Amino acid sequence: MNTVDKLASLKDMISPGISACTGCNVELTLRTCMKVLGPDTIYAVPPGCMGGVGVVGWDTQSGSHIPVFFPLLDNVASMLAGIKLHYERIGRKVNVVAFAGDGATTDAGMQCLSGAAERGDKLIYICYDNEGYMNTGYQRSSATTKYSWTSTTPVSDAGSGGKRQHRKDFPMIMAMHDIPYMATCSPAFIPDMVAKLEKAMEASERGLAYLHVHNPCLTGWGIRPELSIEVSRLAVETNFFPLYEVIDGTFVINKEYKEAKPVEEYIKQMKKFRHLSAEEIADIQGFVDQKWNRLKQLAAL
Amino acid sequence: MELKSKYIVPVGADGIHILNTGDWRTQRPVLDETKCIRCGRCFLYCPVNSIRKTEKAFVISYDYCKGCGICAHECPKEAIEMVAEEEKACRN
Amino acid sequence: MQKLDILNGNKAAAIGAALARPAVIAAYPITPQTPVVEYLTEFAANGEIDAAMSEVESELSAMSVVTGASLAGARTFTATASQGLALMYEPYFRASTLRLPIVMAVVNREMISPQSVWGGQQDSMSVRDAGWLQMYAEDNQEILDMVVQAFKIAEDERVLLPINICFDGFYLSHMTERVLIPEQEKVDEFLGVYQPKHILLDPQKPMAVDPLTNGGLLMEYRYRHLQAQQAAIEVLEETDKLYGQAFGRTYGGAIEQYRMEDAEYVLITTGSMSGAAKEAVDIQRNRGIKAGLVRMRLLRPFPQKQVCAALKKAKAFGVVDKNVSFGWNTGIVYQEVKSALYEEHLCIPSVPVIGGLGGEDISIRMMEECIDAIKKAADEQKSSETIWLTV
Repeated sequence: MNTVDKLASLKDMISPGISACTGCNVELTLRTCMKVLGPDTIYAVPPGCMGGVGVVGWDTQSGSHIPVFFPLLDNVASMLAGIKLHYERIGRKVNVVAFAGDGATTDAGMQCLSGAAERGDKLIYICYDNEGYMNTGYQRSSATTKYSWTSTTPVSDAGSGGKRQHRKDFPMIMAMHDIPYMATCSPAFIPDMVAKLEKAMEASERGLAYLHVHNPCLTGWGIRPELSIEVSRLAVETNFFPLYEVIDGTFVINKEYKEAKPVEEYIKQMKKFRHLSAEEIADIQGFVDQKWNRLKQLAAL
Repeated sequence: MELKSKYIVPVGADGIHILNTGDWRTQRPVLDETKCIRCGRCFLYCPVNSIRKTEKAFVISYDYCKGCGICAHECPKEAIEMVAEEEKACRN
Repeated sequence: MQKLDILNGNKAAAIGAALARPAVIAAYPITPQTPVVEYLTEFAANGEIDAAMSEVESELSAMSVVTGASLAGARTFTATASQGLALMYEPYFRASTLRLPIVMAVVNREMISPQSVWGGQQDSMSVRDAGWLQMYAEDNQEILDMVVQAFKIAEDERVLLPINICFDGFYLSHMTERVLIPEQEKVDEFLGVYQPKHILLDPQKPMAVDPLTNGGLLMEYRYRHLQAQQAAIEVLEETDKLYGQAFGRTYGGAIEQYRMEDAEYVLITTGSMSGAAKEAVDIQRNRGIKAGLVRMRLLRPFPQKQVCAALKKAKAFGVVDKNVSFGWNTGIVYQEVKSALYEEHLCIPSVPVIGGLGGEDISIRMMEECIDAIKKAADEQKSSETIWLTV
């Protein structure tokens, strides 16, 4: 079945009328993921954008049609591990899932997630990476791109500043935990995302499956709503955020372009980068190239 | 003391609501069926799940559509046009 | 028949937990609690318990795993001490406000700084207002009995709150005593099965936990939480009686009273120091001094009525605290007792005592001196300055 027919046949587990920003591709990601994961799912939404838009709640109408809860920002994977241990012990198959932002994943919740990955807790952990604390007005996180304006890495009146460090390569960090499945996803590549969710469901019977979704934030980054998907796609087409998966230790690149677009094409789409100099763009391009070459080498192993 | 909640712990949906997000719209997507090739991209990318696939066509519901314009922008055949919500603008 | 064994406090706690057949256990080792984790993993490895064990990477995760498991409907157990409890604070507070009947042993240890691995009740007492029930044991038999009883109290529908069974690091955790181990089938009958109705994450019964909630509803949840705390006193007393019927041991409920019938000078203690205090009471009684002892078994909820009733005829009292209350020049239990007495207009001279910090010994002789100070306060009708033992 093609992806359109498949998704059309699945129930939307999230009620309509949630307060995500107009055009938010995280809302799209959430609805898509939960359709695929289906009714036998319990999921956690820690503080963050999706925690704030009204999906944690249920009264047969509003909120989520599957069990959902707020974990703390820093204990998402551990709370889920406890839930999963109980269901495993009583022999019931339930998808136990995180839908967490990059702050809860790459910053405050990293220790718990790393522990769960090492222990082999049978979870599906989905990180929606919008490169910062967007729900509170875009403060920097370890996932924020270098030179990016954020409310805590401001740009001076003279036009210099932004974040001083490159972002943490979190998908690679998770892959190096030797978990059964790690994949990167983009809301611009829905069939790819659906296929990866299905693989994650299978892999989560053996250990932790991790999906890292790159979600450009319209409101925080300064992107027009209708460009939500186009900018997401450019992140992939420039190799800024390559789509790849690591299946039981084997690296597979899912989207490879004969000639990747220059990263500047992605950068110029948003306000948070509008102060960047040519040297700064070149620095990001160099970082992207280095990461891409390393990924290619890993995929060649 | 008379208590409003029937729960002893925060469960259920005390405090959350279905928002009438259709009211947010300043422009609405209008589909020209003659141009539509049924590729389903508008359906795949609609963040609010407001586009439904029927046997013959894709149908846009305006109940919760926030008017983001993704469907129009992503349509390979320019079959969807964003039209200003004039009536609402006047009313407000 | 109950089996007699020689156990340290940590093993007594581990056996107590094992008898309750928890479905999920998660714990992270920390001195002096480490053996509790080792015993439980050993029981699991030998197939003596059927719990899912999670060897977590921190106490934050230990509390988080048992919180998750409890939300899914499991009976859970964990244990910690000192810095581990401090690291747990965020999910610790949350376990009580979600009304999850988690049982956790706290092997009391001093808080840093300075670095110290030895005893002191600063750790658990500092988090007494996080919504948990807190009990303090005097000896290893009581540790085992209270860990078993803790599940019954916590899971009672009138309560539904997590509970700490606290005991002194090293003095109890590493010292061996004779302990009677109840029969498994009788414990099974005593505890029954935990089947939560108030909160549950189960796809067959979709429920959302913790929607964004307004202040009006939040206040209702707090109101009910405080009501449940109060209800725990009665439930504890009932449980004490039922346990006595089943296993032949009772502890007197929220407080233990020792030679209090006609006591005029009352010493108040918590935990293992009570043994030395009872000896001192006996010595003073032999001298003709009407001394008595109240041992605080329950700190949360604070058994205000029980304490007032016990002190009704006292001429003066003193509290030995193995902790400090920063901001008051006294220990914590002293302030709590004074606050309780105010409720019934009992205004009698008192003696705050601080001792045993960082594992310092509290001797029988020191307890005798405390009783002397209490008598002096009564004679002079004047409360004493804080006495620092061994300083």
